[in-house]
Order: sequence, then C-alpha cells, then structure tokens
Amino acid sequence: MYIKELTEISGVSGYEKKVREFIKNKIKEKVEGIEEDGLGNLIAWKRGKNSKKLMICAHMDEVGFMVSNIEEDGKLSVIPLGGIDLRAVIGKKVLVGENEIPGIIGYKPVHLQRSDLLTPPSLNDIKIDIGATKRSEVEGKIKIGDFVAFAGNSMIHAEWFSGKALDNRGGCSLLIDLIEKNLDLAYTTYFVFSVQEELGLRGARVASERINPDFAFVIETTTSGDNPEFPEDRRSSELGKGPVITPVHSGYVNDERLFNWVLKIAKESNIPHQIKRRTVGGTDARAIAVSSGAPSLVISIPSRYIHSPLCVMNLSDYENTLKLLSILLVKEEER
Amino acid sequence: MKDLVKKLTQTSSPSGRESEIRNIILDEVKDFIDGYEIDKLGNLIVWKKGRSDEKLLLDAHMDEIGVVATYIDDKGFIRIEPVGGISPYNLLGSTISFPNVKGIVGVEGETQEDLAKNIRELNFDKIFVDIGVGDKERAEELVPPGTFGVYDAPFIDLGERIVSKAMDDRIGCAIIIEVLKRSKPYHNLYATFSVQEEVGLVGASTVAFNIKPDMAIAVDVTSYSDTPKGNKRMSLILGKGPAIKIKDSASISDRRVVEKLRSIAEKNNIPYQIEVLLRGGTNAAVLQTTGEGIVSGTLSIPTRYVHSPHEMVDLKDVENAVRLLVLLVEGEEKLL
Repeated sequence: MYIKELTEISGVSGYEKKVREFIKNKIKEKVEGIEEDGLGNLIAWKRGKNSKKLMICAHMDEVGFMVSNIEEDGKLSVIPLGGIDLRAVIGKKVLVGENEIPGIIGYKPVHLQRSDLLTPPSLNDIKIDIGATKRSEVEGKIKIGDFVAFAGNSMIHAEWFSGKALDNRGGCSLLIDLIEKNLDLAYTTYFVFSVQEELGLRGARVASERINPDFAFVIETTTSGDNPEFPEDRRSSELGKGPVITPVHSGYVNDERLFNWVLKIAKESNIPHQIKRRTVGGTDARAIAVSSGAPSLVISIPSRYIHSPLCVMNLSDYENTLKLLSILLVKEEER
Repeated sequence: MKDLVKKLTQTSSPSGRESEIRNIILDEVKDFIDGYEIDKLGNLIVWKKGRSDEKLLLDAHMDEIGVVATYIDDKGFIRIEPVGGISPYNLLGSTISFPNVKGIVGVEGETQEDLAKNIRELNFDKIFVDIGVGDKERAEELVPPGTFGVYDAPFIDLGERIVSKAMDDRIGCAIIIEVLKRSKPYHNLYATFSVQEEVGLVGASTVAFNIKPDMAIAVDVTSYSDTPKGNKRMSLILGKGPAIKIKDSASISDRRVVEKLRSIAEKNNIPYQIEVLLRGGTNAAVLQTTGEGIVSGTLSIPTRYVHSPHEMVDLKDVENAVRLLVLLVEGEEKLL
C-alpha cells in the first residue's frame, strides 16, 4: 500500500509528472511493457491466460489550483482545477510550482467579517500568500501557470487514514498493489494511470481508444457522505462497509453483466461491499464507453471529505477493495 | 403499426438495461435483414444489402428514461435516483415498474405545510417508492439496490393520436423497423438501435465508427408548440408531418441531409415540417463527430409531453416518416 507516499506528492490535473514518475519507478520492473502516451497517461500491461483485453484504470490527478496572476502586492490569484468547495480550503497550506514553494490560502479574518460570514467566498477574494510583499519578490520563483497543490499531511491512526488527494491516489495505490501481487491474470491486463480526470475525463479517453479494451474496471475513491448531519438515506456510501459498486453515474450506466458478476463474486467471497446510493458525478467509465465502446464498472474506496485538503478513509475498505480486485483479475468473466 | 408501437413502448428497458427491448426488436426484424451484430456496449446493428456503393445509416435509440433504486429503509421504502432526464414532478402520483414489482411514488412531509413546501421544491431527496412491503428484508429481495425501474403507464389509443411512456424513442425504433420491413434498399442500409442515449448519447458515440456510412440519420422524438400557451419561438405541430431538423442544442444537421429529405418529400407530396429546436439534442450530434466526421441529420416526430409517463404522437407523422425514409433508401440517386 502506497497511500501515504502517493498522497504526499503534488499532482494536480495537468501536472501529474511527479505522481507518474513515482508509479513508474515502482512498477516498471514488474510489468511486461510500459509506456507514456502523448497526454501523459501511464500505461503498463501484463499478459493473461485469455487474449481478451481488460483495462483497469485509476486517475493520477488531484483537484487543486493554477496561478492565474501575480498581483502588485505579491499575492497570487488562482483558478481552480477541478471541483473545489472554497469554504473548505481557506487557511490551508499549499505548495506552488515545480519547486513547491509553500504558501497559505489567505482570506479575510473572522474578526473583520460581518454578514460576509454567511456567504461562501468568491474566487476573487481568495489569494495565495507566500510571504511576499511585492510582485518583484515573487517573479523568478513562481510563474503564471504554475500549479497550486494542497500540501500533503498524511496520517495513519488505528484503522483510519487521512491525507489529501485520496481521490484518486487510493485507486493508484490499489493498481500498484495488484501489479506487485503478480497475479495469474485471466486477461491481458492494461493498468492505466490516467491524467486530467478532474477536468473532464480527458486522459482515459485517449488511453482507451489506444488500447481498445474488451471491458474495463475504473478504480476510484468516491464520496461517502456518512457525516452525522446526513440521515442514512441521503448518504452516498459509508466508511467501513467495503468497496462501493456503482450502478449508474453521470453520463454512463455501468455494465449490467459486470455489475451482477462483481456482486456475485463479492458475495461468494464474503467481502463486504455496498451499492453507491447517489448518481451525481462522473468517472473515466464514461470516457471509456464513448471513445472505445467498451463496457465498464466503477469500483471505489469510500472516503469522507474528498476534494478537500484532508480526506479520511478506513483502511479496511482499502483492504477489502484490494481483496475483491485480486479475485476479479484472475477470474474469467461469466457472461 | 399501432400494435408494434404498443409492443415496443410497453417494454421496460431503461438506459443500460436494454436487453429486453433489443430481443424484441431483433425478433421483429430478423426475417427482413441480411445480418446483425450486437457490439460491446449492447448496440444492435442490423443491415440490408443494397445495389449501390453507398451506405446509409438510420439510428434510433432503444433505451428510455428511468430510475434506479439506491437505498431501502427499515420500513421497506425505496429511495431512487434518476436515470436520464426524468423530472421528480413527473413522478408525483405516478407508478414505477421494477422487474419484480410495481411501486407508488410518495412525497415526504410531516405536516401539510411541509408537504406543500416539498412539492414546491421537489427533488429526488423528497420522494420515495412504496412497494407495499413493511420491512427492509422483503423489499430488498424484490428490489435489490441497483435495480432499475421505469414509468408504469399504459398505451392509450386515441385514434389518430397514440399515447404511451417511452415513445422517446421507441417510435423511432418502430419507424426504422417498418423501413426495414417495407423496403428493398438501393443503398446499403444499416440500422442501429443504440443504447444509453438518455444518459448522454453513449451508445451512438461509437456505433458508426466501423460502419463508416456516407450518411447517417437519427430518428427521434422532438418537442411541440401546439398546446395552450405553447412556445411561440418555434413551430412543431402534431399531424403536420415528420420534422426535418435544421438545428437543436447539440447539432446542426448537414444541409445535404436536409435537402435530400426535403426534395423527396416535395416530389412525393409527403407532408413535412422544418424544425429549429430551442433545447435538446439527438444522437446525430455524436454520429456527426464519429471518426473523420459523418454527414448527419435528424428526422423527428413531434411529440407532446416528452419524458412524462404519457408521450403523445400523431400516427400520420409516423406513417409519413416511414414513407419518406423508404423512398430515401430505395431512391436510385446518389446520397451525396
């Protein structure tokens, strides 16, 4: 499990290089082929007993920001990369650009707010403070277009893990584990670490067109919503209840046969699992369907507070997802 | 024709769960085609050889909007989420058909005020389905989470006008089935009955890639403007003929498709109308951008109350769409 290491790396959408390098180093000796495509997807493969092609995909990118201007007073204005709740990022530590210069997402102090406390902040009010007082102090260190990533601050406590970017380094870690297990694969399996999912499923689109798989698994870290303020029927999934199987999400109905097959295997193997209760939000599964026409199924680790600087996961869900995938990858799909 | 439309519309096959309707369509056309294929996503592709060296593709999507059961509470009430563009308002007071059982849609509300407020601001969080079972275990046996459902709504024969759930787009399927049955194609005819249109044009995105047709036409429902206080910014009238689409929010029909259909209609005295749809889209949008690009357009059937449990079409428009397409398929002039 490489969750701790992976969630310490900066890799916002479009700037996945460091994540890619980490993964490449871990897996390159353990696969039969590996390559990087024009968009930056990392594709590794291993032959299986059956010549049919299975694509298993996890995106490497995380949500973050990009520097859109360096202002007169040395503060950085930013645009978001991916879906971010600005209320969740105020006062948090970030790392800016290749050299990972530390900064703070600044905002009006609570003492000086009145009714503005009631409204969510606007992007115009959010500035990154790197401790500079004028533009010239920043120039040379940071450029317009540099990424802004949440600073990694991972922690394991008993069966809980917390850290940033779990969506979707959780999925990346599972794929590395699956490669390292050296399974007796049923199908020729393409392990795809895709880019720019958070900006609109961009990487998986070209990766699946290149591979043209017969079917695919999309491995994700997904919303739980099992906060106390949500009644049970409003939640999307719950921590500690095992891998989340998605029947349908924005823009794609998951493949019926894969859905039924995976549920059957999970039941037979006594692996706890749950059905995703909400349908909002898409995954690479849509991109795979519309670009290569391949059916797929999304299997996820449930996580609290995704897309924020700190996500929380239950390690048993990671283990159970890994267990389920380890069985699925060696079995011939029943049609 | 009515019997065929009834059979197709009364079949339950929401997006991603099209096997039942696919079998019915295949059964209808199998004696009239030269071959068929079901691709990885479940699209049904059938063909009829012609004598020309050109290929024409007709597409209708076979899925319908629906719901998915996501959670069952201790008393056996089922929570649902939408599959495609289904409005909670259309679910108010309606019945849902799951594979094993039917259910009634209810609304949360502790007091009359709560209920009124919830109805004013209706969303999927406020509604539930009641299958008349008092406990979670029994309800989960009948409707395991992840089960898909559709409107339970009858086929209503009003004479010229017919009404059912899922006219969108089983009426397009019926038209293409009739074209396959009635025509001796001059052009090589491919018909695709595609999946998952309602969740975002999924099936049609790749269905034409290997066929590489010279021309593709989506046959689908469109809106209407001829009801009390109907939209004055467009003209779509039931009974005035199939509509040749110029534009909707997802595509602009290739002029060659528009002119071809228009000239056939003019020459043969087939009534037609011209459609500029303010909002909506069809599979033509993704057929058009397949591979190196395909000359594509849409032939529409004006339909009232689209995406409600009771979608109404005029049979004259349906018949005239069939006539128009048969003439296109059999016409011994080049497509392009």
